[in-house]
Amino acid sequence: MKIDHISEDGIRRLVDEFYARVRADTELAPIFNRAIPGDWGLHLATMRDFWSSVVLTSGRYKGNPVAVHLRIEGMVPRLFDRWLELFGETCGELFDDSLAEAFRAKALRIAESLKLALFYRPDRPRPRSVP
Amino acid sequence: MTFVVTDNCIKCKYMDCVEVCPVDCFYEGENMLVIHPDECIDCGVCEPECPAEAIFPDTQAGLESWLKLNADYALVWPTITNKREPPADAKEFDGVPGKFEQYLSSNPGQGD
Repeated sequence: MKIDHISEDGIRRLVDEFYARVRADTELAPIFNRAIPGDWGLHLATMRDFWSSVVLTSGRYKGNPVAVHLRIEGMVPRLFDRWLELFGETCGELFDDSLAEAFRAKALRIAESLKLALFYRPDRPRPRSVP
Repeated sequence: MTFVVTDNCIKCKYMDCVEVCPVDCFYEGENMLVIHPDECIDCGVCEPECPAEAIFPDTQAGLESWLKLNADYALVWPTITNKREPPADAKEFDGVPGKFEQYLSSNPGQGD
């Protein structure tokens, strides 16, 4: 049975399942493995806090995702598209249609915002891999 | 894309938004808060939290001047991540039109 309401348990399942797919994905795994070379436990906990803050307004995550992404080498806009594809698929398998769509919409907005910050702000330092 | 703080925050400054913001992108003036547009990730968590309904997405028409005000003051006001007591007369000013012209202070707030 698919999950039909937002809960911490649903967020945990989403994060675990989604990042298992990321780590098995030929496009995303290399960049994630470079950025997270050791224990993924901390990253998964951070991502649970992030989504809990965003969809349950728990205030648990406090950070600067723009700065974190700016530090990662090899970032290109296409990676965000692939991220969104995998995230959308995971949501579709775990959540009912309206909940999955709510998560997808939220992720899309955040991704657009991060892309804007990383690639389209001429006054900001560009990622090092982009000439 | 970003969210922007608009007129009805002025002299209300309830600060509920700063508690829920995951990326700490609120900055505090003497009688208003603003959002740093380069730090906001457009998650939308703050919008329904604002008791004064003063926060809007910048995709909404007619907010250009507010976006500029948010961007400008975010560079000079201190960051705020912890809610304090709102002004004692916040409720009296909630919904009063044209607060920008009459009341906006360019002075920084106390911040965290």
